[in-house]
Amino acid sequence: MKDFILKRMAAIILPFICVYGFYVILHGHVSPGGSFAGGIIVGLSLIAYSTIYGIAKGRAKLPEKVLVWTESYGTLWYGLMGMVGIVKGVPFLANKLAGVNLGNPGTLSSGGLISLIGFGVGIRVASTMVTLFFTMMEE
Amino acid sequence: MTATIIPDLPVFVVIAPLFVAFVLPTFARRMRLVEALVILVGILGFLGALYLASLVFAQKGSPLIYSLGGWQAPWGIELKAGNLGALFLLVVTGVSLPVSLFAKGNLAQEVGGKERSARFYVLYLLLGGALAGMAVTNDLFNVFVLVEVVTLSCCGLVSARNHPRAAEAAFKYLIMATLGSTLVMGGIGFIYMITGHLNMEFAARELASIWQHSPHVVWMALSFILVGFGVKAAVFPLHVWLPDAHSTAPSPASAILSGLAVKGYLICLLKFLYNVFGSALMQEFAVDRILVLAGAVAIIAGSILALSQDELKRRLAYSTVAQVGYIVLGLGLLNRQGLAGTLFYLASHAVIKSTLFLAAGAIIAATGKKKVSELSGIGRKMPLTMAAFTIGSLGLIGLPLFSGFVGKWYLLLGSIETGKPLPTVVVIAGSILCATYLLPVIRRAYFEPAPDTTNADWQDPQDPGFSQKLALILLAAIVVLLGVVPGPLLELAKRAAAELLLLQ
Repeated sequence: MKDFILKRMAAIILPFICVYGFYVILHGHVSPGGSFAGGIIVGLSLIAYSTIYGIAKGRAKLPEKVLVWTESYGTLWYGLMGMVGIVKGVPFLANKLAGVNLGNPGTLSSGGLISLIGFGVGIRVASTMVTLFFTMMEE
Repeated sequence: MTATIIPDLPVFVVIAPLFVAFVLPTFARRMRLVEALVILVGILGFLGALYLASLVFAQKGSPLIYSLGGWQAPWGIELKAGNLGALFLLVVTGVSLPVSLFAKGNLAQEVGGKERSARFYVLYLLLGGALAGMAVTNDLFNVFVLVEVVTLSCCGLVSARNHPRAAEAAFKYLIMATLGSTLVMGGIGFIYMITGHLNMEFAARELASIWQHSPHVVWMALSFILVGFGVKAAVFPLHVWLPDAHSTAPSPASAILSGLAVKGYLICLLKFLYNVFGSALMQEFAVDRILVLAGAVAIIAGSILALSQDELKRRLAYSTVAQVGYIVLGLGLLNRQGLAGTLFYLASHAVIKSTLFLAAGAIIAATGKKKVSELSGIGRKMPLTMAAFTIGSLGLIGLPLFSGFVGKWYLLLGSIETGKPLPTVVVIAGSILCATYLLPVIRRAYFEPAPDTTNADWQDPQDPGFSQKLALILLAAIVVLLGVVPGPLLELAKRAAAELLLLQ
């Protein structure tokens, strides 16, 4: 019962932290932060969950397999976004040249592939943070 | 489809290994698939490098420029596959393919466990991709990123064996290499500070016109770069991490670390010295004399240290320190033949040292004996492995008909051309010293009787399995081939040297 307040508060706050992390990831090209910082925030929300509710519960939510997959395919996603350029016959990682609609400046839709690339980086960073945390806790 | 792949080759050789490295952890348990993918990527990479080299060759050395994302040079990141890039790309892919064949048979024993082997392959591919990147990059900050990737994957490879000594060596390497990276970063920062460019060509152009206004900054940048890459490439007084790291790593990793990773740093150093600072500035700041002196000391000291080691892999690791000395000495000769010799020697040492480390690894795996003094009679028990070792040794000593000879010959011509006695004497003395630490191994293996086979701890050793044999045969064949027909590679090296020296 000692940690009742902590657990209740975490249950209220953690979802918001997690969503805020994704907000930072996806708005990397229009506001401060970006996919790396956002990924850290998402990762931290998951780490906080595991420290508050116990490592075992955290592990149950995020089994090693999920972490390996998000880590691997998050990075691959970046590469695949780069391949869009090559498929269109322009250089690797091309954005506007590849015919992607850049949208209105200053809005979420601006920047073409950048927010998609950022998404891959973000989930990679988040899962790496969590993997590092679990590795250190289980040593 | 081919029409779209060919102009993108410079970027494909870099990203293909990285792509495979990213997905490998997800099917780490299916070892067959992992090995097949690694070898497939190796073959594709080698074919790509070969095609790229033939393109560069056909264009008489005008480089293939690739702007990432379509952003042109001073703003965007540029990949440049010229003579130098094509040469090093050939070396990287040509050596890493046989090494991955060797790893296929040997790794389970040395590293233990499927998951650990799969992690080894992930690091191996990251290292391969980053080294290919070093060959083609034309951007100062990209060099730093690639240096970091190579360093960290090397640390992982060194610690791949589940052994406390491996962990200690990896930690030592991590500390030294981080120091090196920091210095390199500082050097890049200084260059950027006074030139405002990260593209090598633009930085060089700017540097040539403004260095007189801030000579001290150029001094700082040069010394940071020299010491930073000196630590990473194990130039003599800064080599202390190398013997531990290269001798405790699993044999395929030792081969790739000694053969390629060190060469990657040397190629980066060469790009900085010749492509950014230029040979005129090198003479102005006496860098050429420093390099010759450092190289000469490294050759003599590394060889003598190698002579005093009884452990086979440690002896080979110290020999790497000596051979790095040759390359550093060659960088300071500042003439066409010397530089061409350096580049050719770099390529041939990559092949030779991989052969030697793989053969040593096969011997250690089969007999469990690590020391030279315990290898009596091994030549008759493992004829093929020892033959490969002998070919590698003769190549390293620099006998005619082996690849080391061509490199050393041109280095010698370059040394004589400078008119100074030191490099000439040291290049010859180094060969003799090299013979004194490698020939005893061969003599012991072939001309001394094997110990009594009834002895319990001497199992009857045999040549390794098919894929390992194939790797040894391939590498030994390349050593002989480059010695007998050095033509195309030597031509590439000569053109690269001319291009690097004319840039001033």
